[in-house]
Amino acid sequence: MTADAISLPLTIRSGPANWWHSLSAMLRWQLTSMRLLLPLLIVVQMLVAAGFSIGIGLFFEDLTATAALYLGTGAAIITLIIVGLVVAPQLIAAEKEEGTYDFSWSLPVPRSASVAAWLALSAIISIPSMVMALIIASWHFDIRFVLSWSIIPAVLLTLVCGTMIGYAMAHAIDQPSLTQLLTQVVAFGVLGFTPITYPLENLPPWLQSVHQVLPFYHMGVIVRAGLTVGIVEELWLSYMVVLAWTLAAIAVTAFVLGRRK
Amino acid sequence: MADWTFRADGVTKSYDGGETYANQDISIEVHPGEVYGLLGPNGAGKSTFVKQVIGLLKPDSGSMTLGEHDLVEAPDTARQLCSYLPQAPMPIDSFKLHEAIRLTGEIRGGTRDAVARRCDELIDALQIGEWRDTLGAKLSGGVRRLAGFVMVTVVPGRVVILDEPTNDVDPLRRRLLWDQIRLLGEMGSAVFLVTHNVMEAEKAVDRLAVIADGKLLAEGTPSSLKTADRGCLRLQLMLVPGAPDPELPPMLRNSSMVGHKLVSTIDEVNASEGIAWAQRLMGEGVAEEYALGAITLEDAYIRLTGHVSGEAEAVAP
Repeated sequence: MTADAISLPLTIRSGPANWWHSLSAMLRWQLTSMRLLLPLLIVVQMLVAAGFSIGIGLFFEDLTATAALYLGTGAAIITLIIVGLVVAPQLIAAEKEEGTYDFSWSLPVPRSASVAAWLALSAIISIPSMVMALIIASWHFDIRFVLSWSIIPAVLLTLVCGTMIGYAMAHAIDQPSLTQLLTQVVAFGVLGFTPITYPLENLPPWLQSVHQVLPFYHMGVIVRAGLTVGIVEELWLSYMVVLAWTLAAIAVTAFVLGRRK
Repeated sequence: MADWTFRADGVTKSYDGGETYANQDISIEVHPGEVYGLLGPNGAGKSTFVKQVIGLLKPDSGSMTLGEHDLVEAPDTARQLCSYLPQAPMPIDSFKLHEAIRLTGEIRGGTRDAVARRCDELIDALQIGEWRDTLGAKLSGGVRRLAGFVMVTVVPGRVVILDEPTNDVDPLRRRLLWDQIRLLGEMGSAVFLVTHNVMEAEKAVDRLAVIADGKLLAEGTPSSLKTADRGCLRLQLMLVPGAPDPELPPMLRNSSMVGHKLVSTIDEVNASEGIAWAQRLMGEGVAEEYALGAITLEDAYIRLTGHVSGEAEAVAP
């Protein structure tokens, strides 16, 4: 009798094996949910990156080597954070809007495994887009990147930080339309008014001070340090700021997911 | 042997800082193998109650336990022990029907082979095999609903919560669905069936609770809820569209209108008088036909809640 193989739960599953099983199953769930959207999303991200670096480059007739390096790395860094910070919260807001959020959250997986699956998904979309952005910039501006080992922790930390801020925001805000609006503001702010594609000194002093506290400028610093030589200073401070934001976003996420109304 | 009885004790849940009560002091006990109906009009607090079972909401006060497990304190445990079909559509647009089922089965802790086998069995049993490889986005509402049912029951929990499972499902497959719900009971699950369709519930549930305005109005087997109406009959009258509404004599109680159908309760001793009244209305061209029959659960439900199942409201007697 084959039906015997399925039985009602007798014990509560826990431990690392269950956690990894949950992570892998949730990641498959997320990837399949986005099967129709995923290729499109990756292509769009690459186009955004290409458009961004090439487009801004058009403003200047003669781009200095340093400016080109800023622009090329900046476009790649923006590609890395925009998915976790903007696209992902919009997907969660859409789930709330459609009413499918309840089912997803009733699935028997540890919340931390759901979060990890979300981070993995964010990486799967963002990292290829970022690599593509670097290749395009390198070809278009004829610049050479100097890769160092620090690119790995820098990219991972930046990705986790951006994704967790977006994730915490999307789960904390009940109104999907408010999340949509806020992500637009964030996207606009990050794309236009953040010294990622240009040096911090180009901003008015008060905005410089704001960006000393916000994580975005510092994300740019640490990732750029892994790609270039000689244009980044005070690296440890930037690592500290991004790390602090990451921990804060994780704490907010843990609080929001643990809270039940 | 472990005890898997579900117990809710004094569950109270309010919104707007205590202004509105979604649930007020609800205490029920549901045993393994039972199909337990939660009946009530829209907004009665049924869905709120079951969302507290699965840990999506938290009661202000009161307890919910499954055997020795405290479901309120340990929502992780609640999600493992209970499975939940929400009223909202399932997020399966980009899944082939069988993929959505198998993946949820694996997320629910089933092994790949066992889940695949039971997935196929349930697809066959509900006769939705022709859509096995169809993407969710292309499924009709009814098939999507059935897919949702299989997703949450391919590896069933100790408690299976089904919020309006038959919505959009065609009559034939509805019957097949009821068979599967009964089989869940036979597997040992306690099934919570949330519905506002009393006629369906009467046939399907072992026991039920009638809830309105967040309060538990009555609880028991379908027969026991009808005992207050013992000695009564149900008089049903089809009115002629466009004709003036007839004046209702005092012998008719708990009258309600659904479209052109008037349903009332009448004492057995007044039966012949009631028939005479109905025949007179037919003679006057106000009514087209009438029927006198045994009291149903629906009549008991109308008496308790003042609501007709579905959208229509009761009229004053």
